[in-house]
Amino acid sequence: MDMVKYCLGRLGRALITMAIVLSIVFLLMRLLPVEGYFGDRSDAMNPKVKEQVLKSLGLLDPWYVQLKNFWVDLFHGDLGRSIVYRKNVPVMDIILPKAKYSFQFGMAALVLEKVIGLPLGVLMARYKGKALDKFGNLYILIINAVPAAVYYLLIQLGGSSLFGVSMLYKPTDPTSWILPTISLSLGGIASTAMWMRRYMVDQMNMDYIKLARAKGMTSSQVSFRHVLRNAFIPMAQSLPASILFTISGSLYVESLYSIPGMGGLLVTAIQRQDNTLVQAMVLIYSAISVCGLLLGDIAMMICDPRIKLTKKGGSR
Amino acid sequence: MAQYRRSTEKPILSVRDLVVKFKLRGKTLTAIRNISLDVYKGESLAIVGESGSGKSVFTKTFMGLLDNNGWIDNGEILFGGYDLAKFKNEKEWTKVRGKRIAMVFQDPMTSLNPLKTVGKQIQEAILLHSNISKAGAKQQAIKLLTDVGIDDAERRYKQYPHEFSGGMRQRVVIAIAIACNPEILICDEPTTALDVTIQAQILDLIKALQKKFELTVIYITHDLGVVADVANRIAVMYAGDIVELGMCEEVFFDPKHPYTWALLSSLPQLGIKGEDLYTIKGTPPNLYQTIKGDAFAPRNPQALEVDFVARPPYFEVTPTHKAKTWLLDPRAPKVEPPEYIRRLREQGVTFNG
Repeated sequence: MDMVKYCLGRLGRALITMAIVLSIVFLLMRLLPVEGYFGDRSDAMNPKVKEQVLKSLGLLDPWYVQLKNFWVDLFHGDLGRSIVYRKNVPVMDIILPKAKYSFQFGMAALVLEKVIGLPLGVLMARYKGKALDKFGNLYILIINAVPAAVYYLLIQLGGSSLFGVSMLYKPTDPTSWILPTISLSLGGIASTAMWMRRYMVDQMNMDYIKLARAKGMTSSQVSFRHVLRNAFIPMAQSLPASILFTISGSLYVESLYSIPGMGGLLVTAIQRQDNTLVQAMVLIYSAISVCGLLLGDIAMMICDPRIKLTKKGGSR
Repeated sequence: MAQYRRSTEKPILSVRDLVVKFKLRGKTLTAIRNISLDVYKGESLAIVGESGSGKSVFTKTFMGLLDNNGWIDNGEILFGGYDLAKFKNEKEWTKVRGKRIAMVFQDPMTSLNPLKTVGKQIQEAILLHSNISKAGAKQQAIKLLTDVGIDDAERRYKQYPHEFSGGMRQRVVIAIAIACNPEILICDEPTTALDVTIQAQILDLIKALQKKFELTVIYITHDLGVVADVANRIAVMYAGDIVELGMCEEVFFDPKHPYTWALLSSLPQLGIKGEDLYTIKGTPPNLYQTIKGDAFAPRNPQALEVDFVARPPYFEVTPTHKAKTWLLDPRAPKVEPPEYIRRLREQGVTFNG
């Protein structure tokens, strides 16, 4: 019961946060020079036509009226129609199919990331200072030091010529998933392994590990029964946000493989001053951030009995 | 309890000429320098000495818990028909570690896994070493909790360590240690992290359990107050060696080694109001180098010439009391123990009472 109350409170605050974010972004978009709304032919347009365009977009009203209209529409569940990007198409019809692609690729990469990254981190911690650990650290270092663009290209070119898989994404060809998924997961594998190793090593140096050893447990029993779970908790917190954020896609990978995903859509929408599209995406992203944090905290609470979100202050 | 210690009695644990070394930043450090020690069944032996004297390292060798960069370079540790110094892999150690020799650590706040219930952690120790069912182990764990003085054990079994106070957690740690009826219980500064009122309770608990389960207890401490309270026998360690070994009264009231004098002189209980407390000048020797003669000589204002040249052997004072100091050699000049020690001797009666 306390928990439900707590979640409702958090959600309430989340809604306020999102409203503030949305309003600020809404107003910022209105501060942009109006030339963007006329497209390429702005020089050739006469002032009357320009005014007509602005009027039809409702941009000539005072800002507070525009903001009010936006909120009223939003409460009716109407995010509006695209004004530039794909004129008059409802923004959700633009966003949802793209989000689906990004989510699918993102999830595939995320699964790969955790399936490889977590065990790698665990093994690196167990064999700290040995060859495996050094190899893993080298990998992490390379991934972090080399710009992603470089190895993305290498994977695309090398992968397609060596294994004969398609260089571009084709909806009909499942093998065309392989290269983009690998590209997407490499960075995540490195960071997952790095943090997992870090948390494992932290836990292994704790006093309770000494006691567990003194009980007579072998070091692999200690690793699996004590260290692993305790090290995983900090990882659990970021998991919900990682899952939700897969829908934002990757600008680079998606354009390399011409995947019709979300990557770059926000940038394009801002550049072309497609106000409604920007607003819808900001709404979605802020909702994801806020929910990701909340779910992360709940995940932590489930894993760690010491954490009580509902009670104030420590218990001792 | 035991007032025996005859040479005919067979020790439960026997250390012979033990040398422990560590590799640190490319250099080799000798942490334990040729210790021999017998521990007898049912006794409470206190190992005292300053930080870095090797007390913990010495007892860790009994459980094979030395850090990875340390190793036993020489000597034997005879226990239950095994030579523990020869144990190589974890499988051999599981026969002894936690089962026949158990350990209680210093800081109860950090020695329990914060994410497992107290009950599970005790149960785990039981299941490791016996073939009983989980339910049986649970019953046993609950009984252990009651044994260590935790009320409402059934409910407490399901709680997490953060729901326990420091003293209660130390009781849990003790419950884990005695879970498998060990023969030897090593208490590594069991009360250092606790406040004074709780200290006494925990020591009383250990004493009661010792009687009940016929445990042999080895205390490691630098708190001589604790020692006086619990120990039958005292081993004084300095720079990786036991410099004096004797019954509690012998070491307290008739100490022979200058280091024991200095250590006892620094007892705050012996201080006189208004005067500075006694401190031992200088620093312990560098264990990276080979120590020549008596390790304490450089800090001993009354050191003899021979102390800097030759390492003293044990001189027997009584059958139960021996010390490694040339002062006990018949040829040595008579050196009186310092003022403090005489005062301690006079106070002896009150100290004991």
